[in-house]
Amino acid sequence: MKNSLKNILRKELRELLRDKKSLAMMLVIPIFIPLVIMGMSALFEMQMNKDVKQYNKIGFVYELAEEEKNIAQEMNVEVINGTEEELKQKYDKDEINLYVTKQNKQYIIHTNGSENSNYAKQLVENYFNVYKQSLQQQYLQNNHINANEVLDIIKVEEEVEEKQNFFANYIKNYTFLFIIMAITFSATYPSTDTTAGEKERGTLETLLTFPIKAKDIIIGKFLGVTISSIITGVISLILAIITLVMAQNMFTIYEEVNIVYEPINMVFAMVIIVAYSFFISGLCIAIASTSKTFKEAQSTLTPLTFVSFFPGMVAFMINISATPLLSIIPFLNYTLIYTDMINGKIDYWNIVLMLISTIIYIGIVLKIIIKQYQSEKILFSK
Amino acid sequence: MVKVENLKKKFVTYKNKKEKEEFYANNGISFEATNGEIVGILGPNGAGKTTLLRMIAGILEPTEGNVFFDELNYQQNEIEIKQKIAYLSGNTKLYDTLSTYELLKMCSDIYNVPKEKAEERIKELATILNLEHFLYNKIANLSTGQTQRVNIARCLVHNPQYYILDEATTGLDIISSQIILDFMKQEKKKGKTILYSTHYMEEAENICDKVIMINKGTVIQAGTPEEIKKQTGTTCLRDAFFSMIGGVTDEE
Repeated sequence: MKNSLKNILRKELRELLRDKKSLAMMLVIPIFIPLVIMGMSALFEMQMNKDVKQYNKIGFVYELAEEEKNIAQEMNVEVINGTEEELKQKYDKDEINLYVTKQNKQYIIHTNGSENSNYAKQLVENYFNVYKQSLQQQYLQNNHINANEVLDIIKVEEEVEEKQNFFANYIKNYTFLFIIMAITFSATYPSTDTTAGEKERGTLETLLTFPIKAKDIIIGKFLGVTISSIITGVISLILAIITLVMAQNMFTIYEEVNIVYEPINMVFAMVIIVAYSFFISGLCIAIASTSKTFKEAQSTLTPLTFVSFFPGMVAFMINISATPLLSIIPFLNYTLIYTDMINGKIDYWNIVLMLISTIIYIGIVLKIIIKQYQSEKILFSK
Repeated sequence: MVKVENLKKKFVTYKNKKEKEEFYANNGISFEATNGEIVGILGPNGAGKTTLLRMIAGILEPTEGNVFFDELNYQQNEIEIKQKIAYLSGNTKLYDTLSTYELLKMCSDIYNVPKEKAEERIKELATILNLEHFLYNKIANLSTGQTQRVNIARCLVHNPQYYILDEATTGLDIISSQIILDFMKQEKKKGKTILYSTHYMEEAENICDKVIMINKGTVIQAGTPEEIKKQTGTTCLRDAFFSMIGGVTDEE
């Protein structure tokens, strides 16, 4: 490494490590990753293992026929009879989870959309489906029609992803999105400090009188911010791995499943984290250096945190995979390649495209920043 | 020797969102400063002193004209020139998170001063400028006077040939100002070239060998303080300046 570049990098790292806010951004934000993993795991556990007794008290304003009672009993529905007025009062007092009224042949489910009544609604809908099927069968039999020939004309076979793998991948994907967000947070503060901050503090003028080329100053600053981002990314990944091991021991939804990263996945996750750190650091410096003040730079960079998160989240929600074209789209490419990797699809060509496009983007961004640093409007405007 | 040749700097300002206006902060400034000479750049606020010195220090690029340091110029020898100059302005700030020693060490490294020589030089400067008792204190905790002494040490650490001092005494108390003026006198004795801008005419009269008076971006008078006083028939540079610009105007 060139001597002048080494000197600038050393200066940048020293400033970074001595600044409490930069340190906090770099080291404290990853602490949220375990909280996210534990929180999501606990939520899934709660949803999966919700006791039916918490939502099976169903009020009926009419007397159930024998058959209805049998179905209700089979489906763990606790039947509570009463007038509409009585049931409404019980419902308001949370003594029942919902109540059903009947007008002619129409059944009306009364619910307020709370979490427990949603579970209860699902239970009652299932109950009515079973009852409806039973009535249909009876009707067909009474008319001497083979019920199986009418009702079983379509057979749908569902291939459901294993429960455990679904949760593990869900958690891992969201964890990665949070790591990406942590890296973005970590890059914004030091890049603001080293550009707009340095301008505002008046040290930029001193720096420009040193016998160092503008290119070396920019690359030194860029590498300083990138190192900070990589540290955040690595700490986040390590904490995520540790937390996943702990979650596996704590939550029953992960029983008999390996939710921990495979070694090859860890290597690729590191490659993606490093590539993203380089990319986001360059982008943050480019944006922050156009600002005149620290405050202005911070405001300009705030949307970037959301931009870093949303493309990945949307891609994850609509379940798309990386393609050569998508592998060169910034922000989206890192998440897609990671998601594919977690799903067992490692496409080396897509990874190479992601790395090449990142290098090109960094090159363009650095060129823009060097040009900015030669612009008096940016350096000396107040 | 520093030779400034027909230096021009054009800036663009915006009257409103659509209309822009061009103006010359410096419009064809030329002068020379030889070794062992203190040259004062004098003028009121907004005269173009800072722009001129920033161009000489290589921070700003001239729109037209050239600056030569002996036979070197910025187009071909930017790094070599910057190795030989020291720039200090009233606005020059230092890195608060570093200690005095760390800052001087960082500057030595940047100017490629060999390690052993750098240690010797820092010790020497600490003694000369009385930095010893706060050498390992963070700059953030130093007083204004102490900070300015550290700033001077920063300029001296690589033993430069040329000093560019832009209103370096502005806003300082009498003791801190005197430290800078003494430092200039000592460096002049060593044969260094010093370009020094100020709007304190009396200060310049006492210390400068030659004076360049500028107003609205152009040189209105140049020569030794004695020559200028003689030419204008005045007894001090302050009166000489007013006689040349025709009294105080609103703009000044």
